[in-house]
Amino acid sequence: MTAYIIRRLLLMIPTFIGILIINFAVLRLQGPTLVDQMQAGVGKGGGEGGPGERKAQGAAKDVENYIDRFRRSGLDLPALINLRGFTGRDEVVARLRDSAGDGPNRERPSTRNGIEKDLWLGGPQLVEPLLAVVADDGLATLHAPAALALSYCAYVTVTARDLARMPAQRLNQIQERNERLRNDRIRYTNTAQGFATVDPEATAKRADLLALFAVPGTHAEFTAARATRWSDSLVRTGFCDFMAKLFTAQLYSESRKDYVFSVIADRWYVTFWLNTISIVIAWAGSVLLGIRSARRSGSLEDRVTTSALFLAWSMPSMFFGTLLLYYFCTDTSGSKAWFPNRGLSSDDALWLPTGQYLLDLLWHAFLPLVVLSYNSFTALSRYMRANLLEQLDADYVRSARAKGCGDDAVVYRHAVGNSLITMITLAGGLLADLFSGALIVELIFSIPGLGWLMLDAAIQQDGPLLMGSTVITVSLLLVGILISDLLYAVVDPRIRGRYA
Amino acid sequence: MPEQGGSPAQLAWSRFLARRSSRYGLGMLALIVLTGIYAPFLSNEVALVWWDQDGLRFPLIWDLFNRRSYEKIYDVYFNVLALLLPVLAVVFATLGRRIGVTGRIKIGVASLALVGTFCLLPVFPGHGGRVAVWDHRPFTASGIQEWSALPEAKRPFAVFTPVKHRFDATYPGAILQSPGTMNPVTGGHYWLGTDAGGHDVLTHLFFGARISLTVGLVAAGLSFLIGLVVGAVSGYFGGWVDLVLQRIVEIMMCFPTFILILTVVAMLGRDIFLIMTVIGITSWAGTARLVRGEFLAHAVRDYVTAVEALGLPRWRIMFRHILPNAIAPLLISLTFGIAGSVGAESALAFVGLGDPTAPSWGVLLEQGRENIRYPWLIYTPGLAIFAIVMTLNLLGNNLREAIDPKQRQ
Repeated sequence: MTAYIIRRLLLMIPTFIGILIINFAVLRLQGPTLVDQMQAGVGKGGGEGGPGERKAQGAAKDVENYIDRFRRSGLDLPALINLRGFTGRDEVVARLRDSAGDGPNRERPSTRNGIEKDLWLGGPQLVEPLLAVVADDGLATLHAPAALALSYCAYVTVTARDLARMPAQRLNQIQERNERLRNDRIRYTNTAQGFATVDPEATAKRADLLALFAVPGTHAEFTAARATRWSDSLVRTGFCDFMAKLFTAQLYSESRKDYVFSVIADRWYVTFWLNTISIVIAWAGSVLLGIRSARRSGSLEDRVTTSALFLAWSMPSMFFGTLLLYYFCTDTSGSKAWFPNRGLSSDDALWLPTGQYLLDLLWHAFLPLVVLSYNSFTALSRYMRANLLEQLDADYVRSARAKGCGDDAVVYRHAVGNSLITMITLAGGLLADLFSGALIVELIFSIPGLGWLMLDAAIQQDGPLLMGSTVITVSLLLVGILISDLLYAVVDPRIRGRYA
Repeated sequence: MPEQGGSPAQLAWSRFLARRSSRYGLGMLALIVLTGIYAPFLSNEVALVWWDQDGLRFPLIWDLFNRRSYEKIYDVYFNVLALLLPVLAVVFATLGRRIGVTGRIKIGVASLALVGTFCLLPVFPGHGGRVAVWDHRPFTASGIQEWSALPEAKRPFAVFTPVKHRFDATYPGAILQSPGTMNPVTGGHYWLGTDAGGHDVLTHLFFGARISLTVGLVAAGLSFLIGLVVGAVSGYFGGWVDLVLQRIVEIMMCFPTFILILTVVAMLGRDIFLIMTVIGITSWAGTARLVRGEFLAHAVRDYVTAVEALGLPRWRIMFRHILPNAIAPLLISLTFGIAGSVGAESALAFVGLGDPTAPSWGVLLEQGRENIRYPWLIYTPGLAIFAIVMTLNLLGNNLREAIDPKQRQ
C-alpha cells in the first residue's frame, strides 16, 4: 500500500512541474507588453525641454514604479537564459553608442530609445560595467546616460515584507542610497548628434556617484550579482526567480496590492468546502439513482430518468445557475427572493449563535451547491447506470443468481461493489471539470472564493495572482485525485494484492 | 431492423438513421446551421428586393460582400456559403444519381475549402460593391420615413427580411426593451427584446449561431488534429516516445483546461480566433488517449504486419492503413469535442472574457446575469446554447451506439 501511494505521489511530480511550466510560459507571453507599456509611459513623462530630454527628477519616480512592478511580478529577468551577468564594459559602451546613433549598428531613432531603456531594466547585474563607464575619463560623452542607467540598475526595490522584516539599519542604508542615486541623475539630451549633457552640476553629481560606490560593501554587494560560472546564466532567470518567489510565498499581486498567498489564504477554503461537499452529494446521489435506474432498466421510470438526465447533462451550468438566480434570488414577477443572491453569509452573521450561523450558511450555500453538484451528478449517474447494467450481465452475477442469491443480495453485495470501483476513478477525473465549474458558480452567486478571485485576476491581467491561484487549484485537484486513487486501492482488492 | 449487406460504415450509418432521435438531431443541427448561414436573410435592415422607377435591385445580396458591413472573416465565409448552397443543391438534385454519395461528399468538401480560400483573399470591396448600400440610407428599413413622404406613385416596392434589425447596430432608446416593442427607426419589432447595449436579441441569436458553429468546427478540428497526431505517434511507436507523450497527455488531463484557457485569453487578448485556437490546443488530451488506444490495438494486427513487411513508410502505414480502420470512434469524440468547444467559448464569454466584437450567445447570457431582471436575456441565449450542445451530444451518443453495437441494450 505504501509503495502504491509513493508511486502515485511520484507520478504527480512531473504533472505538477509541467503545469507550472505551461502556466509560466503563458504569463511570459504577456511580458513584452508590460515592457512596451513602460516605454510608452516613460516616453510620455520624460519629454519636457525638447525632444528626448530626460527630465531626470520627474520621470524618475515613474521609472522606479515600473521597475518595482517588474521586479515584484518577476518580469525583470530574461525567461530562460540570462547572459546579463557576463555583460562587460565594452558591450555596455557599444549599446550606449547604438542608442546615441553613432554605434556599430546604426539603429533607427525609435529603436535607439528602446535600447537605452533596456539598459535601465538591466538590474544589479549591469551595475559593475555601467560603473566602469562612468569611472572612465575617456568616455566623457557617455557619462550622463550611463549614470542614469546606473541609478536605475542599482536602485533596490523595497517590498512591504522587507519593511517589516529587514533590520532598520540596512533599510536606512538602502533608502539613503536610493535617494542619493535619485539626486545624482545627470540631465542630458539624446539628439541626432548624440548625447549632450545639459546639467550644470554634472561633474559634482558624477563625483558623488563614484563616492557612493566607493563606500566599502556597496560595490561588493553588486559584484555578487555578477555571473562567474556558466550555470549562473541558467539560474538567474525569470523562471527560477518566479519559481523561487512562488515557493517562498513572495509573489506579489499588483491588482490587490498584497502578497498572492495572503489573498488566497482568505478564500481557498470556500472553494475547497463547496467542491468537497458537492462532489460527495453528486457521487452519493448518482450511485443511488444509478442503482435504481439499472434495476428497473427498460421500465417507463427508467426511460424517463435516462432522458431527463441526458437533457440535464447537456444543460450548461451557467444557464441553470442564472435561471436559479432569476427565479429564487431576485424579487421579480411578484414573488419575493427566497435565497440570498450574494456571498456565503449575511452581514451580521458573525454575531449569530452557532446554530443560526450554520443555518444562515446553509441558506446561502444551498443554490451554489445545487448548481455545482448538478453537472457532476448528471455525468456520474449516466455512467453508474451503464456500468451497473454491464455488471448485471456478467457471468459472476449469473453464478450468484444460480446459487440462489436474492435479487437485493446480488445487486448490493456483488454488482454494486464492482461498479463503485469505476465510479471512484470517474469522480477523480471529474474533479478538474468541477473546479472549472466552480468558477462559473462563484461568479453567478458572488461567492468570494478562489474561482472568483481567478476571474478577477484574469480580467485585471494580474499574472502572479493567476499563477498563485492556479497552483493552489491544481494542488487541491491533485490531492483530490490522490484521495480517489487511495479509495480505489481500498475498494479494489487487486491493487491491494499487487502492492501487498 | 434487418441489416442488409454493405460496408461497416454503411451499416453503422443505417443503424444510426434508424433511430428517431438521430433524425430529429440531424434536423435540429441542420436548422442551426441554416440559421447561421442565412442569418443576414433572416434579420437585416437592408431590403431584399427593391423596385422603383430606376429598376429592380437586390441590395441585400450586394451588401453580403461589403467588408464594411461584415468585418469578420467568418461572416464573409457564411455569406458566400449562403449563395453557394442553393447552387450546390441544384447541382446535386440534377446530377445526384450520377455522382453518388462519395462524389457528393468530395464536391461538398472541395467547394467548402474553395470558399474558405476565397474568403481569405482580400478581394472584397471596402464599400458597397456596385451599389453603396449601407451608406445609401433609402435602401434600408431605417430610411422608411424618407420614402413614406414621397407621392404614392413614386414609392418603391420593397421586400424586407422577417426581422428588420442589423446585428451590429445600436438603436436609440433600445436599451433593455421588453419583447414586442417596436423599433421606431426601422419599423420592425424587437420580438425577443433588446439587450443592455441596445441590440436586438433575436438578431443576436441568429448571428450567434455563426460564431458557435465556427468555434465548434475550428476548435474541435484543431484539437482533433493534435490529438490524432499525438495519439497515433504514441500508440504506434510505443517505447520512450509513448512514455514522454503520455506524461504530456497526463498533464493536459489534470490541468483544469478552462483555467488555462482563461489565463491565455487574459494574457494575450480577447480575439475570437485566439479563443478558438486556445480551446483547440488545450482540449486534445481525451482524443489523444482514444487514438492511442486504437493504434495500440491495431498495431499488432496481421494487416499491419503485412504492410510493414512490404516496407511502406511509417507515416503511410499510420495514416493510410491504420487510421481508416480506427476512424469510427474518433468521429464520436469529434462530435463531443464540438459540443465541448461551443460550451467552453460560451463559458468564457459568460465570465466576461469573450471577444467584445463578436456577438456570441455567451456574451448575451452574461448580460442576462448582469441584468438579472430581464428573463429574455437569460432564456434566449441559454436555450440556444442548450439546443446546440444537446443536439451534438445526442448525435454523438447515437453515433456511438450505432458504431459500437455491443453498447446497445
